[in-house]
Amino acid sequence: MNEISAIQLPLEPQSVAAVSEKFAEPAWMLAARQEAWQLYQRMPWPHAKEEAWRRTNLRRFPLDSMHLMVASEPLDEFPPCWQQLLAAENCVSGTLIHFNGLPLRATLRPGDRANGVTFGDLHQALHTHGELIRRTWMQGRTTRPDFNRFTALNAALWHGGTFLHVPRGVRVERPLQSLVTYGLNGGAALHHTLIVAEEGSHVALIQDRASLESGPAMAVEVVEIYAAAGATVRYVSLQHWGAQRYTVSVQNAELAEGANLQWVGGSLGGKMSKEFWHSALNGPQARSLMQSFTFATGDQHIDQSTYQHHRAADTHSDLLFRNVLRDRARTVFYGMIRAEREAMGMEGYQANNNLLLDDAHAHAIPGLEINCNDVMCSHSATTSRLDPQQLFYLQARGLPRPAAERLIVQGFLRPVVDQIPLAHTRRRLEDELLRRFDTDASGGAA
Amino acid sequence: MTLSLEIRDLHVNVAGKEILKGVNLQVKPGEIHALMGPNGSGKSTLSYALMGHPDYEITHGDILLDGESLLPLSTDERARRGLFLAMQYPVAVPGVTLYSFLHAATSAARGYEARSPQQQGRLNAHLIPMREFRQEVNEKLALLEMNPTFLRRYLNDGFSGGEKKRAEILQMALLQPRYAVLDETDSGLDIDALRIVSGGVNTLHRELSMGLLIITHYRRILDYIQPQVVHVFYEGRIVRSGDASLVDMLEEQGYAWVKDWES
Repeated sequence: MNEISAIQLPLEPQSVAAVSEKFAEPAWMLAARQEAWQLYQRMPWPHAKEEAWRRTNLRRFPLDSMHLMVASEPLDEFPPCWQQLLAAENCVSGTLIHFNGLPLRATLRPGDRANGVTFGDLHQALHTHGELIRRTWMQGRTTRPDFNRFTALNAALWHGGTFLHVPRGVRVERPLQSLVTYGLNGGAALHHTLIVAEEGSHVALIQDRASLESGPAMAVEVVEIYAAAGATVRYVSLQHWGAQRYTVSVQNAELAEGANLQWVGGSLGGKMSKEFWHSALNGPQARSLMQSFTFATGDQHIDQSTYQHHRAADTHSDLLFRNVLRDRARTVFYGMIRAEREAMGMEGYQANNNLLLDDAHAHAIPGLEINCNDVMCSHSATTSRLDPQQLFYLQARGLPRPAAERLIVQGFLRPVVDQIPLAHTRRRLEDELLRRFDTDASGGAA
Repeated sequence: MTLSLEIRDLHVNVAGKEILKGVNLQVKPGEIHALMGPNGSGKSTLSYALMGHPDYEITHGDILLDGESLLPLSTDERARRGLFLAMQYPVAVPGVTLYSFLHAATSAARGYEARSPQQQGRLNAHLIPMREFRQEVNEKLALLEMNPTFLRRYLNDGFSGGEKKRAEILQMALLQPRYAVLDETDSGLDIDALRIVSGGVNTLHRELSMGLLIITHYRRILDYIQPQVVHVFYEGRIVRSGDASLVDMLEEQGYAWVKDWES
């Protein structure tokens, strides 16, 4: 197929077959897509009375104008400014760029390749790792197609995907980087990321998202992480979506015995975002650390639901979500620690801290559901304004008030930013955070 | 115009209550003054009021720096005019390394701006070039016998009392003020640290010809940093000024004795 075809969504059920055919997918994937499409047709959009959707008004999302673009050509020029999101090749083990759903570049160091590591486009991986993908496909508690209508949609029409597989015992030398981007003609972003780390393997992936759009646009993405026994996965999920993008991001990690997940999120762009973070500690002594920073400006709205699900003994989870809010921005943090009966000896911690610079508004709803004895749990949520004593101290050393504010905000977010395992990424995030002070109050991202 | 830090009949309210009741004081470049007084006499109120802390309301009087009134100026403008306050209780700013803070503050104090066209528009254009600054910091660390690993720690966060005070003087060394107020810099310092910090202050005083106002209620620091003028502070005003022999009198007789001067 060489012609450029734009598939309209959701009006055409035949889009499902068209996407599948375009990538010559195995029959099981087509069947999975069709089944998901049935679900999508049957399910309603989430109701405003559901806990996860109480504080994010879906009616503002441009659901009716969604359309999917599937083409053989990128449809737009790749904006050179996005190149700077990437670290130099010699700092990473591999780079994968997607633009309008198509892979533009895929590299992997020969040593990692020789160890059997696969890092590339998910459509292509269906041909090389079909059985592996089939075994894990959308098995996570929140990444099942029937989790909500958005996961059903992604399951039916996902287009563009990141696939990472690390064989047993293999340590990927340096972090991998993935860049998922959409230009003016990119349409809805239905990216799907699948990370499978086999027993005892080690890997770090930094994934960035960016877009340009001329009007309201949607992103409905799914990230699946499967860490087998003793595997260590570091996953960094950063979004710098364009100012008119409405997003639903469902990310799920399933951790086997002794697996260790270090998960960092950074949300800077977009108009309205609803994020689900779910960490399932399925095997004894699994550990997860979830950390996130946001800097919401203008009338941005960022809503995060997190779930630390302890399903085995001696599991350990920790969470730190920090939000900075300016102008009239709003953030929502809804965090749950749940311990099942089997989770004796578990430890679960959770902290959400919000720093308000203007008339912004931060909601924090932490929760615990404990069904076993012998646990250690704590949760806390704070919302504060800039500390006048800190401001005075910094100003007394000659820093004008705006510079003093910047330092305090950088310091507030640093514990999370510092978790990112790549100096280039940390530095550009520091720069991007500083630029958030320069955006005018009416707009979102610069 | 007189070159001096001059405080004229200063009255200051805190939370509606008058704490300073008419303070007069003039410190000229190169002079060292000591301000001694018991706890609660208003010494720290004076230092915060000089620096323009928003909780300290000046109801009467004036503060002049080389003839210019500081009252209309914000705290940071006062600092950039060359006034420095080494605080009794330095504030912790978690997440901000001492190095990045020193870099930002020193650059601001020197009015640093992008010097070449390539630098303009760059985010770090308002900062002193890294290499140049690093060298200067290392010199000042050596002066105060401080370990360079200190720079990577968060500003005053988890610092011991003595570390905080050293970090204050390190800042003074980089900001190179024309007038400095040292508010109980001696408290929290052991004898060795006091000697090192005092040595640093003396060196800076000599090099920069700073006017210094040392606020303390012990004589210890004044054995190392010798004042020309000593002021006794009591209930919101200076009740007596004299030469260094006043320190000995206070040491012998305590502050109870100043009450007698009042009557």
